[in-house]
Amino acid sequence: MGEKFDTGVENTWCPGCGNFGILNAVKKALEATGKEKHEIVLVSGIGQAAKLPHYVDVNVFNGLHGRALPAAAAIKMANPSLTVVVTSGDGDIYGEGGNHFLHNIRRNVDIALFVHDNQVYGLTKGQASPTSNVGWPGSLQRAGVISEPFPPLAVAMALGCGFVARGFAGDPDFTADLMLQAIRFPGFAFVDILQPCVTFNKKNTYSWYGKMAYKLPPDHDVTNRGKAFELALEWEERIPLGVLYRKERPTFGEMHPQIPGPPLSDRDTPEETVRGLLRRRLTAAG
Amino acid sequence: MEIDVNVRVAGGAGQGVHTVSNLLARMAVAAGYHFHVTQDYMSQIRGGRNSQSVRIGSDPVRAGRVEADILLAINPDHLPHVFPAVAPGGFALADIPSAEPPLFAAPLKEMAVRAGSPILANVAGVGAVAHALGIPPETADAVFAADFRGDFFDKNRTALRLGAEWAKDHLSKEVVERFRLPVRSSAPRIILSGNEALALGAIAGGCKFAAGYPMTPGTGILSVLANDGPMVGLVFEQAEDEIAAITMAIGAAYAGARSLVATSGGGFALMVEALSLAGMMEMPVVIALAMRPGPATGMPTRTEQGDLEFVLSAGHGEFPRLVLAPGSPEEAFDLAQHAMDLAEEFQVPALLLTDQYLADTVVDVDPDAFSVRPVRRHIVRGDSVPRTGDGRYLRYATTGNGVSPMAVPGEPGITVVADSDEHTEDGHITEDHATRIRMVEKRLRKGAMLAGRTLPPLFAGPPKGDLLLIGFGSTKDVIEEARQILAREGRYAAAVHLRQVWPFPGEELAGIVPRYKTALTVENNATGQLARLIRRECGVRVDGTISRYDGLPFTPEGVASEARRRVWEKNSIPG
Repeated sequence: MGEKFDTGVENTWCPGCGNFGILNAVKKALEATGKEKHEIVLVSGIGQAAKLPHYVDVNVFNGLHGRALPAAAAIKMANPSLTVVVTSGDGDIYGEGGNHFLHNIRRNVDIALFVHDNQVYGLTKGQASPTSNVGWPGSLQRAGVISEPFPPLAVAMALGCGFVARGFAGDPDFTADLMLQAIRFPGFAFVDILQPCVTFNKKNTYSWYGKMAYKLPPDHDVTNRGKAFELALEWEERIPLGVLYRKERPTFGEMHPQIPGPPLSDRDTPEETVRGLLRRRLTAAG
Repeated sequence: MEIDVNVRVAGGAGQGVHTVSNLLARMAVAAGYHFHVTQDYMSQIRGGRNSQSVRIGSDPVRAGRVEADILLAINPDHLPHVFPAVAPGGFALADIPSAEPPLFAAPLKEMAVRAGSPILANVAGVGAVAHALGIPPETADAVFAADFRGDFFDKNRTALRLGAEWAKDHLSKEVVERFRLPVRSSAPRIILSGNEALALGAIAGGCKFAAGYPMTPGTGILSVLANDGPMVGLVFEQAEDEIAAITMAIGAAYAGARSLVATSGGGFALMVEALSLAGMMEMPVVIALAMRPGPATGMPTRTEQGDLEFVLSAGHGEFPRLVLAPGSPEEAFDLAQHAMDLAEEFQVPALLLTDQYLADTVVDVDPDAFSVRPVRRHIVRGDSVPRTGDGRYLRYATTGNGVSPMAVPGEPGITVVADSDEHTEDGHITEDHATRIRMVEKRLRKGAMLAGRTLPPLFAGPPKGDLLLIGFGSTKDVIEEARQILAREGRYAAAVHLRQVWPFPGEELAGIVPRYKTALTVENNATGQLARLIRRECGVRVDGTISRYDGLPFTPEGVASEARRRVWEKNSIPG
């Protein structure tokens, strides 16, 4: 599965890159939705991860570094019948685009966000990312990373994100299933994906993640926010994989009075309505 | 103009200055007159020294005056600051224990309390001013009926009448006779500000998505889009920052919605990276920028035209853009439609450059002055989507005029691929240099086409002579009135108003400027940015600039006196 959306575009990732596992998972998940290519939009920012949409035969909006989420949210607002998925890196979403990450979780637009989290800036050659661990030797961090890592799942939990999950590039089938659940979830759905960087991150490797990561047991209660928050904070000793939390609430598209109805591109502007708006400002003769 | 009375209302924020100017202006219209309101306010929620000038005239009024014929000081503490601006023969009203003409002690608060609410002191003041103007109190009834119900309607009516009765008993006969407006027949007029007109024009131009982060003086545009937009199915969202606002607008544009953002200089500075994105992705987006004095936070509630060069060069890389500069509310309505249309036709970012003066100026307009043109979409759908032999759609297909037919996602059988990297015709990343050259040239061809559609400058006055005044944007009607003041003295100047500043109407200007002994730009900035632009683009002589950069707008007398000094008075030095 996954061949449906193959493209002939030349891939420029490093051999062995964790992005390949994520790409396979994305294609599998999209095929499993049963949607056609014209019904799907992949949105990304800039970085190695953000090149992913070019390798999938669907609609693509490959915008600016950090700015994938506002573009994606507006595409969904403009045409709710589209399946909108953001796929971009940790520097892009948590660093440059951190404010948009916070506020689009609050907005709860019905889109899915997949973050390729390799704890390093790859395309710019080895600088620390917001999720790099303290002490990690980045190329611009001469004394190693000093700042505490950004905890993406805990931040999402704190903001009331309705779907919080973590996948692993080394397990594309498992990750594809999380992605499919996220796409089907009505509301903002977030999947952080552990991704080894074979070139610039010699610490957080396939085998390191293999040792640290564990799958949540089948009896994990995804409706227990307190427990999910605890799991979201697990990082130093072991890293949980799977759906941590799931709770539906009304989406932005359901709450915003003007979104239901035809796509914005199909809405007309009758002259009489415009005249009416002008007449609202009419002052009567004496 | 036969009748020309300037009423200034001064008070702190929260004391109902706006209510007074609004009520007085609507009463003047109902009495058959026209008005122009300028706002001068401080960046605070309560207190401060704010004032609004309601200039009432027998002809449509399109600029303010410095001197007040009538001053209503709602807060008497402001008298020392505002009383000196009262014109000879004018008078002032303030709630003070005693006074000598031309200052009158009006017990406004006491009348308000008698009317049933101490907050209606401002309305009692309007009653007194209206009496001096000879506008009967019942003129206000329709205005009150539109705004208030029940008990509060009655209290407002009472306060206004008490004010009028007080004026009848206490204002001197000369004062009342001097300002009495002759009875005229009236017609319904539309009352709106520059911000409102711009936003309604955008709506008329098919705007269906708007986002913004509140920033004075552009916020008024967002208010109209949020409140009136739903009538045409417009989706508005307040963004977390200006970067998100414009990125959302570009996302919505990708999905086929005509989109707009509104901001001021600092917010636009944050939007600049995405302006370049719109240039590269070829996304239509309209940016309304209401300028205020900078740098940085500057003077948030005052006016300036200091961002002209900034908007012309904003954004990394080279890409075409459209920059329009409306000179009046009617023109803002018209040009906003034009911007919406051309942005989509050429798939470029379009800017509407206004300033706090125009944004907050309120006037009365003939309902027929607004031309509402049908929205012509430039998006391809269904069978009109061009496809390659193997059925693909090329978002950036190379065409003769550079404009690639724009389809939107959701079109069965095709995908729409848009990229901020340099891209191939099908929208995918490329580092191929030959493709780069083709794409650069394709984008620039759109600019050349756009230049062919440049709106010519508006010209008034003698075809040659002593002086040409050149302005852009909000100075249009101020310069026109200055020209008329000079003409009454037998000094004939011509004026050019640039309603489009990019692509620059260089050919037209190059033909006009050399016909005058002296050519001066009139600019609300310190360095003469328009003068530099004209020299650069036309290679013609511009002798200097009448500039103002204290945060306040030009007045016709101010421009006329500066022109007089530089051109007609002895030993005048242009420039």
